[in-house]
Amino acid sequence: MTEAHPVASYFLKRALKKGAKLIVVDPRNQPLATRADLFAQIKVGSDIAFLNGLMNVLITEDLYDKKFVEENCEDFEALKSKVLEYSPEKAAEISGVPIELIKEIAHTLASIKPAMACYTLGITEHTCGKNNVMSVANLQMLLGNMGLESAGVNPLRGQNNVQGACDMAALPNVYPGYQAVTSKESKEKFAKAWGNPNLSEKVGLTIPDMMAGLVTKKVRGFYIFGENLANSEPNIAHVEKELASAEFLVCNEIFPTETTRFAHVVFPSTAWGEDDGTFTNSERRVNRVRKIKEAPGMAKPDWWIFKEIAKRMGYDWESNSAQEIWDNEVSVLAPAYGGIKYSRIEKDGLQWPCPTVDHPGTKFLHKEGKFSRGKGLFKAIDWTPPAEVADNEYPLMLSTGRRLFHYHTRTQTSRVGLDQILSEETADISFADAEHLGIENGEYVMVSSRRGSVKVKARVTEQIPPGLVWMAFHFREGNANWLTNNVFDPETKTAEYKACAVKIEKVK
Amino acid sequence: MKKENQERLKNIIEKYPKMESAVMPIMQLFQDENQNYLGVSEMKEVANAMNMSMSKIFGIATYYTMFNTKPIGKYHLQVDTCVPGFLHGADEIVEYLRKKLNIEVGETTQDGMFTLSTVQDLASCATGPVIQVNDKYYENMTIEKTDQLIKDLLEGKEPENDPSMTVVSECGILLNDRTQKECRTLEFYKKNGGYQALKKALAMKPEDIVNEVKESQIKGRGGAAFPAGVKWSFLPKNDPRPVYLICNADEGEPGTFKDRQIMEFNPHLVIEGIAISSFAVGAQKAFIYIRGEFSWIAEILETAVEEAKKDNQLEHVEITVHRGFGSYVCGDETAQIESLEGRRGNPRAKPPFPASFGLYGCPTVVNNVETLASVPYIIKNGAEAFKNIGGPNDFGPKIYGVSGHVNNPGVFEYPMGTKLKTILETAGGVKRKLKAVIVGGLSVPILTAEEAEDLSLDFASCQKAGTALGSGGIIVINDTVPIPELTLRTIEFYAHESCGQCMPCREGTQVIVKKLKGLIEGKGKKDDIDLILRLCGNIKGLTICPTGEAFTVPIQAMITKFRPEFEALVR
Amino acid sequence: MTKTVFIDGKKIEYEGNKTLLEIARENNIYIPSLCYHPKLGPASMCRVCVVEVEGMRGLQPSCATIPAEGAKVLTNTERVIEARKTVVNLLLSNGNHNCLSCEVNGDCELQDAAYHLGIEIPAFLIEQPEERDESGVFILRDPGKCIKCGRCIEGCNRLVVNEVLDFGYRGGEIKVICDNDIPMGESTCVQCGECVQLCPVGALIDKKAIGKARTWETHTVRTTCPYCGVGCQLELHMKEDQIVRVTGVEDAQPNQGHLCVKGRYGYDFIYSGDRLTTPLIKENGVFREASWNEALDLVAGKFKQIIQESGPDTLAGVSCARSSNEDSYNMQKLFRGVFGTNNIDHCART
Repeated sequence: MTEAHPVASYFLKRALKKGAKLIVVDPRNQPLATRADLFAQIKVGSDIAFLNGLMNVLITEDLYDKKFVEENCEDFEALKSKVLEYSPEKAAEISGVPIELIKEIAHTLASIKPAMACYTLGITEHTCGKNNVMSVANLQMLLGNMGLESAGVNPLRGQNNVQGACDMAALPNVYPGYQAVTSKESKEKFAKAWGNPNLSEKVGLTIPDMMAGLVTKKVRGFYIFGENLANSEPNIAHVEKELASAEFLVCNEIFPTETTRFAHVVFPSTAWGEDDGTFTNSERRVNRVRKIKEAPGMAKPDWWIFKEIAKRMGYDWESNSAQEIWDNEVSVLAPAYGGIKYSRIEKDGLQWPCPTVDHPGTKFLHKEGKFSRGKGLFKAIDWTPPAEVADNEYPLMLSTGRRLFHYHTRTQTSRVGLDQILSEETADISFADAEHLGIENGEYVMVSSRRGSVKVKARVTEQIPPGLVWMAFHFREGNANWLTNNVFDPETKTAEYKACAVKIEKVK
Repeated sequence: MKKENQERLKNIIEKYPKMESAVMPIMQLFQDENQNYLGVSEMKEVANAMNMSMSKIFGIATYYTMFNTKPIGKYHLQVDTCVPGFLHGADEIVEYLRKKLNIEVGETTQDGMFTLSTVQDLASCATGPVIQVNDKYYENMTIEKTDQLIKDLLEGKEPENDPSMTVVSECGILLNDRTQKECRTLEFYKKNGGYQALKKALAMKPEDIVNEVKESQIKGRGGAAFPAGVKWSFLPKNDPRPVYLICNADEGEPGTFKDRQIMEFNPHLVIEGIAISSFAVGAQKAFIYIRGEFSWIAEILETAVEEAKKDNQLEHVEITVHRGFGSYVCGDETAQIESLEGRRGNPRAKPPFPASFGLYGCPTVVNNVETLASVPYIIKNGAEAFKNIGGPNDFGPKIYGVSGHVNNPGVFEYPMGTKLKTILETAGGVKRKLKAVIVGGLSVPILTAEEAEDLSLDFASCQKAGTALGSGGIIVINDTVPIPELTLRTIEFYAHESCGQCMPCREGTQVIVKKLKGLIEGKGKKDDIDLILRLCGNIKGLTICPTGEAFTVPIQAMITKFRPEFEALVR
Repeated sequence: MTKTVFIDGKKIEYEGNKTLLEIARENNIYIPSLCYHPKLGPASMCRVCVVEVEGMRGLQPSCATIPAEGAKVLTNTERVIEARKTVVNLLLSNGNHNCLSCEVNGDCELQDAAYHLGIEIPAFLIEQPEERDESGVFILRDPGKCIKCGRCIEGCNRLVVNEVLDFGYRGGEIKVICDNDIPMGESTCVQCGECVQLCPVGALIDKKAIGKARTWETHTVRTTCPYCGVGCQLELHMKEDQIVRVTGVEDAQPNQGHLCVKGRYGYDFIYSGDRLTTPLIKENGVFREASWNEALDLVAGKFKQIIQESGPDTLAGVSCARSSNEDSYNMQKLFRGVFGTNNIDHCART
């Protein structure tokens, strides 16, 4: 959090100064762990076993929020019988977190309300990512930490507008505002608004399926808007093979990237600061971005590029500015933004749901335990190990993440002087493994997985437990994604960036 | 970290209601174990152990003079060159050591044996010159004795200190007979009627004790002269927070060395006073904040506390002796509280006052040693008996410390209102001709010989004479002393001790030092004299703590009363 | 409850518990201050904001004084002005306060105070300037301009809780230190720049802004940070179309004025010479420049052809989690409303 969401971490650290309790669960002894009241240094990919173990303690010791569960949740019995299979002993064995600590964390959680659960991609980037998320939700429902301020399940969004891109329905299954594409009603609504009766009712493809489709030719035309898939997707060698096989690839970009190399046509886009618009942050707050300069050369706003393509395909869209798109389309078609207009977000943004123009926005969801589906549904979930685990050949586990001084594949941060602080990737390893392998801090090593190898500097640190290697994907050289495993959660199609087996060798 | 140290750390932390208070004692532990040097790795260990930032630890280490953040010689020779030391000839000792060791002040000999420093006020005013070697005092030093000291140290011997001075007690209440070997023991104290007042007090209602003390009209002996009973009555009633009592033993006003006389030789009197006062104000925890240089006195107090505890005298209050680490400003009650909470000793803005928001944000009473030591007498004999001592303006016994140019410097316990003349006569009279006298510690306005002629030593009379009785530290200055030099010494002390928080004090002391130095070196202008006076006038009352007044008032007085001497410096 | 205070004879009514300085500021009465910052509360250290309050002994720091009902306050008496002049003169004397080339000239609280007090030349002496600390990648420290007000320290410890800065030493030797008084670039500082934003003078400077513009040449534009999902509100200080520096918007949600190293200093990628400026079409494996019409026609034509040949579901698109809502909206609208497929995704879960 101090690295990927620094400003949010300030508020957390301030709360700690005022006496708030912090429990950190992380494979790495990261900066917040040293400030934590309780720190569980969990084995990579053992989250469900750990969480089930906590819930086991809460249920067997009768410490959960019975009132909340009775009034607001369903299928408690299913959850109960499942988590009873995860005794603290078993949870401890799988997760590496001591039994006593599991119990202490459960007792602490039971004694404080509200408590908020925050996570980032350590939960989602697993083959069991969806189950991880649902286990966190199970725990918070069991504790009654839902529908309260400073409670709930809080995924911290990695990028400035992931929330917005989801809300705007850059997703294969929904229209803007999370209206299902399979719903007749929604289809009619959008067909009317967009003047095209032939909208598809079929859920579309996710990124990994699209990429695979490039090879099988199920996808013939591929349009990538502002993403550097060649560095950000797992198993770069494989990804590049897929991109190279694209029949027709179009990119909107602000810089030439590793991905645009594969394009057939590249459109120059406006960057941040060259057009008006809105971003939606992790707390569902719609904030304004403003134009401060003209775009260089012939670069154009992305919305304009899409509009021009539509025009050439027979659709003349009326909205001719970001504000018109938002005020006249988005906030009209998606009820949750009905009350959000540019005129209302000149200063502080508004948090959706905000259905009407006199609505103040919504600070937290599920107020008074009212979930969007009615009752909160417990799911009985079993722990599954990562798709690839350490073995004799690849004896270490690799996990990945972001570092404070860079952002993603550095298309932006390589051009602002941050390289002066952090100029290359490192493989973070434990003192124990360094000693065992005879590696000095700062020495170049070769890290290899079944998918590739990278030469990278070793950073020997107390943050890392023995058996773990930790890397980021900011630099092309030494990018963790040469190594990561392109296996996916079966439903969300999120890749298992957080766990694969690697080995480390000295570079001669 | 060594295992035994972990254990010691735990023991230190357990002495305090809040962990952060232990930071400085722990820093000292690390320094002691590292040849009197607190290096970066030691600071890191403390930071980790205390869960504090490195900059916080470094900030503390460089605030308090007793932490050495640079390597230091085996013997740290610290010569007190503040005003009383200066009058007693400290400069000659420094000169001698410089030549003898062939180093400048602030340097260490090549063999790593000696580091020479000048320090500001070790509260050995009547026994100057004084050299503190590591944590041991050597008083009444001469060139010959210094020479012998260096010889002994080189041979690995640590000679005995000679703290002798004149002690006269007319009242016999605060000072006991220190010639008796057992004077510090519980047995001796009880044989002479000790702890009877406590017994009496514990049978009284706390508010009756407060009233009795109020009735006695005893004014604070630390320097501010605030009525102690009234101070106690400011504590909020029916407050759920714990109450703390702090005995202010951070004696550091130049010219003042009275509290140590009570603590060192009559420790149980202080403890009984604390025990009664704690009961009166409802404090279950009391601290004695003693200046760190008095390490042997702190040990005496700790021993006495243990004795009293074993004798079941302290069932209602836990007393912890806490050492300071070298800061004049920590004598201010709010700075002392900050320091006790493990921070740099920056005074707090008032309000809120300690009575409502003091140590750990709880109601707190801070009283001076001499004040608390007077409480047993008041309780045992009643407020009336106390008021029968001295008068007519102020009452009770008072320890006057006399340093500087008298024949027999020392401490004199006389009734409030005793004539200065009487005290000076008891001190063997002035050497040569009296030029001026400072009667209440360095921070009060100087008096000319004429002004001092008929002065009575009580708060009201001194105020009438245009000065203050302050702490009762009397500095006698004869006709050999140029006042500009004295003024420079004075401002140098405050410049060294300014906490640096308030801009007028931090910057003002610096400018005045420079201007005065310029004048003395013959580089000054006539305007400079008025500029200093104007600065003093404007800084007075402009700071959070009384230090702003503590240096502007005496400087103004020195310049206005002896202006021709300053003007003579300007060509 | 409405309360009353008289400032320089003017009756002022106000609500709530406020300090004299706050009341004065709200009513456009200028009281200079140096160590006070609204985000940090009173520090009572600089003593420049002192005023006379009838019935109170001595001068009172207005930043820390909550007036009694009906209090009579004077902000401009000779005594007050003399006290303020003393402090400002002292500060100007100890240090190297050279406004000519100072980055914050025109936006400096010490300069403002000196101006309003009519101080042209410091009354005392000039110190030798201390050495600058240029080791920080984005932050320049100039101790010669530091007035030791402690705002940076409070911000570092209390607001962003990075706990790098503190006061070291004491009295006249007091200074702001990083860790154990090591250069900023070697310290644990993460260059979040909170200290720069809080500095009332030119002792902490955004290196990137040096020489870019005088403070009065800039105007500000509020926007949202282009980095992580926190959505910090930025104040862009612009000279024409150049960003001179970036600060956090005080009092704004969600970041309340705080930023991180990327948000504060990671802005200038937009000016990079590497930017794509024309549509590019690949021919024989090499990109060539093209006009918008040519490129758009080509893309629309190709997509039309693919739809005709193999149906809309053989088209797929990935949207951008960094671009605006409006851009993503139009992209999915293109795929759904024009192409007729739901093959649209972005890196939602990674």
